[in-house]
Amino acid sequence: MEENKVLDEVKEVAEDTAKEVKDAAENAAAEVAEAAEKTAEEIKDTADVPASEQDGKAAPEYVLEIDDLYVEYDTEDALVKAVNGLNLKLRHGETVGLVGETGAGKTTTALSILRLVPDPPGVIKSGSIKVEGQNVMELSEAAMQEIRGNDVAMIFQDPMTALNPVFTVGEQIAETIRLHTDCTKDEADEKAGDMLEVVGIPRARGNEFPHQFSGGMKQRVVIAIALACNPKLLIADEPTTALDVTIQAQVLDIMRGLKDQFNTSMIMITHDLGIVAETCDSVAIIYAGRIVEYGTLVDVFKHTLHPYTEGLFNSLPNIHNRTAKLKPIKGLMCDPSNLPVGCPFADRCNYVTDACKEKLPEQRYVSDTHYVCCTAYDDPNFRLERSKENG
Amino acid sequence: MGDYEHLLEVSHLKKYFNVRAGSLHAVDDVSFTIDKGKTLGVVGESGCGKSTTGRAILRLHEPTSGSVKFEGREIVGLSKREMRKLRAEMQIIFQDPYASLDPRNTISQIIAEPMKLSGTMKKDEIEQKVHDLMETVGLAERFVNTYPHELDGGRRQRIGIARALALNPKFIVCDEPVSALDVSIQAQILNLLGELQDNMGLTYMFITHDLAVVNHFADDIAVMYLGQLVEKAPSEELFDNPLHPYTEALLSAIPVPDLDNQTKRIPIKGEITSPINPPDTCRFAKRCPYCSGQCMESSPELVELSPGHFVACHKVAEEHAGGTWKVDEAATA
Repeated sequence: MEENKVLDEVKEVAEDTAKEVKDAAENAAAEVAEAAEKTAEEIKDTADVPASEQDGKAAPEYVLEIDDLYVEYDTEDALVKAVNGLNLKLRHGETVGLVGETGAGKTTTALSILRLVPDPPGVIKSGSIKVEGQNVMELSEAAMQEIRGNDVAMIFQDPMTALNPVFTVGEQIAETIRLHTDCTKDEADEKAGDMLEVVGIPRARGNEFPHQFSGGMKQRVVIAIALACNPKLLIADEPTTALDVTIQAQVLDIMRGLKDQFNTSMIMITHDLGIVAETCDSVAIIYAGRIVEYGTLVDVFKHTLHPYTEGLFNSLPNIHNRTAKLKPIKGLMCDPSNLPVGCPFADRCNYVTDACKEKLPEQRYVSDTHYVCCTAYDDPNFRLERSKENG
Repeated sequence: MGDYEHLLEVSHLKKYFNVRAGSLHAVDDVSFTIDKGKTLGVVGESGCGKSTTGRAILRLHEPTSGSVKFEGREIVGLSKREMRKLRAEMQIIFQDPYASLDPRNTISQIIAEPMKLSGTMKKDEIEQKVHDLMETVGLAERFVNTYPHELDGGRRQRIGIARALALNPKFIVCDEPVSALDVSIQAQILNLLGELQDNMGLTYMFITHDLAVVNHFADDIAVMYLGQLVEKAPSEELFDNPLHPYTEALLSAIPVPDLDNQTKRIPIKGEITSPINPPDTCRFAKRCPYCSGQCMESSPELVELSPGHFVACHKVAEEHAGGTWKVDEAATA
């Protein structure tokens, strides 16, 4: 009995192939006999660790696991609930697009992974974040410093402010390398020059200062810094928002090339579904601090499930059909300091029912890779307009 | 009302800025027309002079030379007093709704300001009009006495629009009005601008770097590159049949949120050349895959190749004279 129950639970949390889920569940079940009070998720994690140790490559299945993360900003005026029970897993070499509006909690999630949430007022209330199986919440500040820029690197949104104006770009790239590897100054400078060439900037320009670079080139320098130590996980927070389309295309090409070359996992934070379509393997749609729909690119783009995702698509001007009228999402995002009891999207939703306002919808898997948080699917015949059109 | 063919007629407009390194050609010999009730989209990368063009037309930047005719009347050279009267008919919506509103004024004061300055309306008329305008742009009445910092970007942009509409203008320069907004809010504002155009017969010059937005919104599109107009055509024609190599590369660079319709990207190599003391060559030549000797010798003229479709490219013009050349054919050749 108990074993079956745990098996079921494991199936729910592991977004994985049936076989892997079964393996994990069997491992979990074995351990449950000894520690029955542990949750299925914890057991799965412990079951994973020995496997990776045997492997020798120290490669847990997921490069990143975020589990039930809550982050709040305790300001004088209000308690702002930025992230509310967020779950996300990322495999090696996978790129996930984190898509949502301003204030949805995208950047806060990213900062939490690096433990860079400004504190005060930010507090990581609960949840766990594991990078390569290691819980970053339990690490000392010194150990965290080892991870930042080394295992996990971040590309910030605004290249104009991310660089230090009083150091040359070469020095700024070399700084990261010297901090994380045992090498001489000359070696670090050499490597910094190599990194500049990787992102398509002549080595000689390493002696120049950020103000001598255009926006696109500055962003490439920021990318070079982020990639200098071959991170396992790269967090790109709107890396091209400040750039023109042609430069954006160049930067995205570079990032894609690097992913292929170094098998880096990537979180692509963006509000541009076009960029997601071009660069990501899977998509997480985030609303009011929770992932409301998650799936592969095809799942989310072709078999859209959440009304909010549908709304995002309808808001976009379609360059292949210029006469289509835009159908914006009505209203504004709910105030994160005053979240409703029920579904936070209910007030803006075209499909809202009374049931939506009563309880927070739970994750509902429609396939191994695709889930949605929407109460409307309590009705098995419910379908979005967009899905009807897509057949 | 005088006789005029186009609501706005811009010819050989130039705006040079004197900088330490020399003369910066922000707008260099730009000519175009906009008809009443239509929208001209102006696209290009940052620094191509699209905003400067918009501002020079309103004489927020004094043009270096050239002519701007509004309803057939030359406005370059008008006195400050005459210009002030005309400003009621020509308005602008700014890009950044966070920077373009005075933080010390309430919403009603901001919207009322143009009417107060015009000096033609009584206090209660103004109050009524503020009320009407807020309704027109979809701002709830409870915001009347709030300050800009209390509102989100979408609402702030609505205030900017209400302010621009206050004096019943005929022509509005929209300078990246939705760039700072989230997509869901962006669609709300675009729909609002569209409705206002239908209801009030407004004419827009819509400046943006977002080609998907401009394709949706504009009747004609002008593509600018380094201060010059390189191509102008009706929107559909421009997207279906881009002639200038830059336009083609620009269109191919748009990320498409549709898995079945991904465009093949044509890379543009290198960075933009400096607009300071530019040489008299085609300004795109250094990045152009089809560049030939002629392109380095003289700057191409903007010519009308088919009705309404203007291009400034030596290669296209030459091949057009000889028959069937098209950019994509050359790319595969």
